[in-house]
Amino acid sequence: MTSTLEPGGEDRPPLRAERPPRAERIDRLVTDWASRQPGHIAVQGTDEALTYAELDALANRFARMFLDNGLQRGDRVGVHLPRSGRAVAAMLGASRAGGVYVPLDPGSPPARMRLIAEDCGLRQVVIAPALLSSWLAAGVHAPVEHFFLSAAGTAPASPPAVDPGFRVHPWSEVKEASAAPVPPVGDSPDELAYLLYTSGSTGVPKGVMISHRNALAFVHWAAEQIDLHARDRVASVAPFHFDLSVFDLWSTLSRGATVVVVDETTVVSGRRMLDRIHAQEISVWYSVPSALILMLDDGGLEQRGAPGLRVVFFAGEVFPMKHLRRALAALPQARFFNLFGPTETNVCLAFELEGPPPPDANTIPIGTASCGDVVSIVDEQGRPVPEGEVGELFVDGPTVMLGYWEGGRRTPARHPYPTGDLVSRRPDGEILYHGRRDHMVKVHGHRIELGEVESALTGHPSISEALAFAIDQQLIAVAVPTDAEISVLDIKRHCASRLPRYMIPSEVRLVARLPRTSSGKADRVRVRTALVENDGVVLSPVVRSADQPGPSGQPGPSRKEP
Amino acid sequence: MEDVVKTGINQYIVSTWLSGDGRGFDDDTDMQQSGILDSFSTLSLIGFLESTFKVQLEPADINAETFKSVNTVTKLVLGKLGG
Repeated sequence: MTSTLEPGGEDRPPLRAERPPRAERIDRLVTDWASRQPGHIAVQGTDEALTYAELDALANRFARMFLDNGLQRGDRVGVHLPRSGRAVAAMLGASRAGGVYVPLDPGSPPARMRLIAEDCGLRQVVIAPALLSSWLAAGVHAPVEHFFLSAAGTAPASPPAVDPGFRVHPWSEVKEASAAPVPPVGDSPDELAYLLYTSGSTGVPKGVMISHRNALAFVHWAAEQIDLHARDRVASVAPFHFDLSVFDLWSTLSRGATVVVVDETTVVSGRRMLDRIHAQEISVWYSVPSALILMLDDGGLEQRGAPGLRVVFFAGEVFPMKHLRRALAALPQARFFNLFGPTETNVCLAFELEGPPPPDANTIPIGTASCGDVVSIVDEQGRPVPEGEVGELFVDGPTVMLGYWEGGRRTPARHPYPTGDLVSRRPDGEILYHGRRDHMVKVHGHRIELGEVESALTGHPSISEALAFAIDQQLIAVAVPTDAEISVLDIKRHCASRLPRYMIPSEVRLVARLPRTSSGKADRVRVRTALVENDGVVLSPVVRSADQPGPSGQPGPSRKEP
Repeated sequence: MEDVVKTGINQYIVSTWLSGDGRGFDDDTDMQQSGILDSFSTLSLIGFLESTFKVQLEPADINAETFKSVNTVTKLVLGKLGG
């Protein structure tokens, strides 16, 4: 089932093929394309490519396996493997069988998998052999009854003496299952399609419940915005448990285009990401700004360009203005979109940049309502705020999740959904982002929005990233400088020129880098913990050329001027 | 005496409000304009001066001029010690 065609080496589909009718459920997205362009690559993985016909057939095989092993309508199916065509087929297969897929983070420890498996009652899991070994080594399997291996590999060799309470189905069993379509699941778009687990405020993961209608409102809208077509080659950068991947997979497959996996070992290097863009002729890219910054800082994007890239979507965190300007200059041919929305509403606002922002602009809007959603900005009493004033963003419409799956219970979403994001509306109708409501802190009686402090810090030409925290009534900043010679005094002076006194961080820690979450964002929780515990490894200080060698993990010695 | 006071104040500012990074900071640096002193850090500095140098500062002693730089604060403290 392996195809190893070079990009463009296959029969190229017509640029403007007649499109199949708009699918209302995820399980319907691929079928029509599989008969129209069976040999076109659907998913270009790292070491395997699946054509539309192969993806369609493998999805049916998975669906058959799930049903034959007792899957009931609405049952959850875990998918725990690296991003690949097989993972996409497993999700599609779960959907076709009437199940709900749950993408699991290959980088998360088994203990977290146990919490999720127990929370949503995972009885069937498609898993990579190496990951299964780590589950079993950690003693995690309940409530799973069936593991389906995604590759030939080391299934636990000899059957244990006692019934372990679960079965492991080798890859050969999946591969040889019937590829005939399973009985149709009907066309109700309001059924649950997938669960995306995010960190709850207490640290216990909670599942965001997304229906087919929720997902496809965004999927079709996004494809429409950029006129996505069958010759497009769309990067898959985000992990599948992160909602950016909903575009990468389903918008792409809804238009008969090709998903190109940019795998976990590639996304850590700007140079390797850009190599992959060039070698795979990637035309559409969607990631957090950090990935683009990595290509600017460490991939030579400004020198090498990427002329084949026609669309860049970014979301998930604020794109510091100076880096955004560099990206725009490096990719003059590309359309850039700032997409906005929490996992709970997928993308509910969007802004397309029309050329570089004005030189004095220090932020760009998050735009206007998208995907058929309606947004409002309200104060703490729930009343609409006047134009220009900051309030909380409320969203209603087709992308608002069904609710949370948490502690084994389902809680319906509030309508309209309160996002917890602080925004304001400009006279031209565009919405501006001001930060998270829960990042609004009080220090010595002053209300401070940490996002504003962070954006002032990254406004310094020599600071590439910054996070701000309020700990024990102290405002503390952690910043990554691009120039090791920058001093704390420089930074304070810079802040003093932009912020009120009470918003100037009393402590500034200059660090070599920030830890990342699995979705590539700066890991705020780990940095905060490191500050509290004074963890010199997470907060490894910047090495300055003039520093005396000091004990490792200690800040460089201070050098008082005479 | 002047050197002891000056050095003490400088070190206190650098370690407390500049995260130990004294680069670019000298005894003439304007601490108001550079964002080092606000109402809260000024109060901490007063506490430090009173306990370290055993001086008693009056409200009239505390203003933007006397708390401008390490040199002006040193002058204020020396005045108190001498008087």
